Amino acid sequence: MARVEASTILALLENAFPGAESLDVEDRTGGGDHFQVSVVSGDFDGLSLIDQHRRVNEALAVPLRDGSIHELRIKTKGTA
Amino acid sequence: MTELRQQIEDVIREEPVALFMKGTPEAIMCGNSYRALNALHAVGAPVTAVDILPDPRIRQELSAVSGWPTIPQVFVKGELIGGADITEELLESGDLERKLDEMLGADRERVVKTVALELA
Repeated sequence: MARVEASTILALLENAFPGAESLDVEDRTGGGDHFQVSVVSGDFDGLSLIDQHRRVNEALAVPLRDGSIHELRIKTKGTA
Repeated sequence: MTELRQQIEDVIREEPVALFMKGTPEAIMCGNSYRALNALHAVGAPVTAVDILPDPRIRQELSAVSGWPTIPQVFVKGELIGGADITEELLESGDLERKLDEMLGADRERVVKTVALELA
């Protein structure tokens, strides 16, 4: 079973949202495949919730595609 | 037989609320699919459920159509609303109910059905 470290997810998010006010990744089960990510960033200002989530999905496209993230919960917030 | 992608697009376009999920409303196979279905039930939405588990191609084709990588996926009148997190957030903010009132009317019929896709 593929797995991915929370630190890898965090690095992908840092790369995609360099100006983020806060970034958080939680491995919900400790199994390296169920994650909760929270991103607060000015990048989201003016975007609909679905477009905010799309940005996070894009940042994590590789581990989502190869199945190493089995479940992803997303919480996003703008700064405006 | 209609191409799988065409069948998926037809469900999205024709059903008032389409929920692509793991399992069926009677036998839900994933916590997130449960969360999305529950949020839709909470606002009295009609739900047309499609189980993506019978064949991996369903999920591949769905994600190609929607540009959304994860399951579940909720569509209202052909428009992707989001997955479980967004559907729950919209429920809590009241926006889900407002959206359904606006798009389907407040006296919508609360029907839950399941559509099985034909696989070659």
